Amino acid sequence: MAAMQYNFKKITHVPTAKDFIDVVLSRTQRQTPTVVHRGYAITRIRAFYMRKVKFTQTSWNEKLTRILEDFPRVDDIHPFYSDLLNVLYDKDHYKLALGQLNTAKNIIDKIAKDYVKLLKYGDSLYRCKQLKRAALGRMCTIMKKHAASLAYLEQVRQHMSRLPSIDPNTRTILVCGYPNVGKSSFMNKVTRADVEVQPYAFTTKSIYVGHTDYKYLRWQVLDTPGILDRPLEERNTIEMQSITAMAHLRAVVLYIVDASEQCGFTIKQQADLFHSIKPLFSNKPLVIAINKVDQRRLEDLKPEDAALVEGMRAATRGPAALQLGDDEELPCMSTLSEEGVMDVKRVCCDKLLAARVEQKLASRRAGEVLNRLHVAMPKPRDSRSRPAVIPHSVAINRAKKASGELPPMITEKMLQEENGGAGVYSADLRKNYLLDDDDWKYDIVPEIYNGKNVSDFIDPEIEEKLAELEREEEELEAAWEREKAEEEMEAESDMDEDDKELLKRLRSKKATMIAEHRRKKSAGNNAANMPRTADPERRATTTRMKQSLGEMGIDASLAVKRARERSASRVGRKRERSTAAMDDAEDMDAEDGEGEKKRAHSSKSRSVSVARRTARADKSPGSGLRNDDERMRAQKLADKAQRKANKRAKIGEADRQIITKMPKHLFSGKRGIGKTDRR
Amino acid sequence: MPQNEHIELFQKRYGRRLDYYEKKRKKEAREPHKRSAVAKKLIGLKAKLYAKKRHAEKVTMKKTIQQHSERTNKHKVEEEAAPGAIPAYLMDREQTSRAKVLSNTIKQKRKEKAGKWEVPLPKVRPVAEDEMFRVMRSGKRQKKSWKRMITKATFVGPGFTRKPPKYERFIRPSGLRFTKAHITHPELKCTFQLDILGVKKNPNGPMYSSLGVLTKGTVIEVNVSELGLVTPGGKVVWGKYAQVTNNPENDGCVNGVLLV
Repeated sequence: MAAMQYNFKKITHVPTAKDFIDVVLSRTQRQTPTVVHRGYAITRIRAFYMRKVKFTQTSWNEKLTRILEDFPRVDDIHPFYSDLLNVLYDKDHYKLALGQLNTAKNIIDKIAKDYVKLLKYGDSLYRCKQLKRAALGRMCTIMKKHAASLAYLEQVRQHMSRLPSIDPNTRTILVCGYPNVGKSSFMNKVTRADVEVQPYAFTTKSIYVGHTDYKYLRWQVLDTPGILDRPLEERNTIEMQSITAMAHLRAVVLYIVDASEQCGFTIKQQADLFHSIKPLFSNKPLVIAINKVDQRRLEDLKPEDAALVEGMRAATRGPAALQLGDDEELPCMSTLSEEGVMDVKRVCCDKLLAARVEQKLASRRAGEVLNRLHVAMPKPRDSRSRPAVIPHSVAINRAKKASGELPPMITEKMLQEENGGAGVYSADLRKNYLLDDDDWKYDIVPEIYNGKNVSDFIDPEIEEKLAELEREEEELEAAWEREKAEEEMEAESDMDEDDKELLKRLRSKKATMIAEHRRKKSAGNNAANMPRTADPERRATTTRMKQSLGEMGIDASLAVKRARERSASRVGRKRERSTAAMDDAEDMDAEDGEGEKKRAHSSKSRSVSVARRTARADKSPGSGLRNDDERMRAQKLADKAQRKANKRAKIGEADRQIITKMPKHLFSGKRGIGKTDRR
Repeated sequence: MPQNEHIELFQKRYGRRLDYYEKKRKKEAREPHKRSAVAKKLIGLKAKLYAKKRHAEKVTMKKTIQQHSERTNKHKVEEEAAPGAIPAYLMDREQTSRAKVLSNTIKQKRKEKAGKWEVPLPKVRPVAEDEMFRVMRSGKRQKKSWKRMITKATFVGPGFTRKPPKYERFIRPSGLRFTKAHITHPELKCTFQLDILGVKKNPNGPMYSSLGVLTKGTVIEVNVSELGLVTPGGKVVWGKYAQVTNNPENDGCVNGVLLV
């Protein structure tokens, strides 16, 4: 409830009965099927018309429910609004109108139910159609009967949407008093509401709301229509609005008294009114303010009038009213000369704030919050005083400014005023340029120079680039210097010629290796890494081994020999017993010759078929197949997999094309004798 | 003026734009042309509705104009006719003799007597049996067809008890049963919703009367106790006859005229 927002602008439009009917019927026409024929199955015809009836009913229902939900329920909203609605629109009428719509909604639902039931027995298109027509007609008739309620609700809606959005629970200052005492003028001075002020009574005919700031808080100021001193039953709607606000809002009441009596009511009358509406102010902070003191000062009042004012103030201190703070001051103001207006506002706000705090403290929830609160009060640790530090220079400047020694700052605005005001004065933007040399500020920079746009040639990073270049150069120079020094040192070393040569070669070799590596790396970034065994250029062969070892200055003959001994062509042969027998073994190899080279089996005695030998191919490295058998099997499998695709004339695995299954030319026409493939 | 009526406030403070009245006048002047353009363009139902609306508007307009000009119009002073004066075309006729008056009264009386049994709808469309009934098939193989369902609205009395379904020849669907009728009193020109007491006579045949079928022209008995009619003797009448004037099965309600 407390968080509820009172915004009546969201209520949707309530159409007139005629428009309402048009809207609903045309919606039915647009959103249900429209074509039906006599020849259709009777169930289909029935369904067609039932749908229309039901659809119309749901549209009515939706729209009426929307209206019923949108309009606030008088009993559910804040009592202030509830009473205001009662005053403005007559609660009974309002409730009756909504009640009628609710009944209409129920009746429409019932009609739809009845006619759908009847439609189930429809045995012809004509009958179904007549029933639908009757159903829709009856629904529309019912709504036509409520044309008056709809029109009333629409008017209420329009008025409600223009009600000022008053939050009944926030900090509020409620301004009240006789007509023409200066309530609206006070409002205009304090807020930006821009209320109409006229020198006649009842200028303000409804409650106005405005907002003001005090102590960084937002205050709602309500300007109420003036009230006359008469019994409640005789008050008119305009006065009743004020009474409602006074009765229901938890606000500070600011009762304005016109001391000058220019409003046409004497102070006596004003005091009488105050005393008669006093019961409404119970439990509310109350401020009495004297207005129009520019006309007659408080001191100039007649003694009996002064006594009346004093009497009113005494009532504020009475047991019925809430007594808060020191009440000794009687705020006076003049909304014309703006004298004391802010004082009045301050007094009101302070009083209400105090009252609200007190109320909160008295409530049960205050304890919970207070438990959690802790206000730290630091104790002084010693007797030294530690005031806030103002830097010396700042203090000096301030003193200078205060004494007028330092000239006051000349702002652009001042310059503008001096030099002919806005529109004449043109600000000098160049004087604030931040340049290395102040003399450059007013230099003329050509836009076009030698037929070229200067800005095309300006590189904003030229300075950095230059600095970069210079640094690079310095580095190079330093490197060169270092090299030179090294050379000099080398020259002094004790290396002989051979060593030097070797060193040189070493270095060049290293350099080429690095260069080669880099080249490969940069060139073949994306190339797959070839295994060494698959790369014919890098494959490990004895020749290469010999060469590379030779390059390193190692005699490789023994290693080559050993490798040859262990090579695949020698599988199955026993290793020589000792290194001494090596030479013999070599001889034996030579004896065996080429015939033995491709032999797989160890036993010489076994006869080997010629066919097999020829069929056997070299196994290619990296194929992943262990031997020829496997290779053959793989080949067979591949052929087999291919066979089906070949048969269907596929290009490859990815060929998913389905050619015409029944070519027209082979299947149309009569089949003569033996004519199956050409016709 | 309430707070949020910005447009009105503005107009109050600064007035209307300078060409407002000019524009308004022109718009009003163009209005008939626009209306005629719309009227020419509309076709079908929209056109009918529009014409009807426009006609009504024109009638009210003319009436109000006449009312306003009533005072200024010149009226002929109508001479009061002398008592016993007859119009010019009857001047040379002889006055009816006494005997003729008598025979006329007798005729009138006869007519009245006959009129007592006259009903507002003297003729009705005969309803064929196959329109009235629908054949219901029964039996295990749905081959027996002696059951009938009535497709018209019916009245079934409150005391009606069904026969066992096996022997029920005529089925009066509960969805088509009516217990209330909207009866117009021809003299009062007023319509009441009254309870139906029974079906007196269905013009299509006595069987339909006994079945309680309500078709157009059926005479029904309704409960008029709410109307507070009184017999010449001073008793309150509570049952009265009425004739159905619509096709209840098509309209979903029973309308009728009270026979007085």
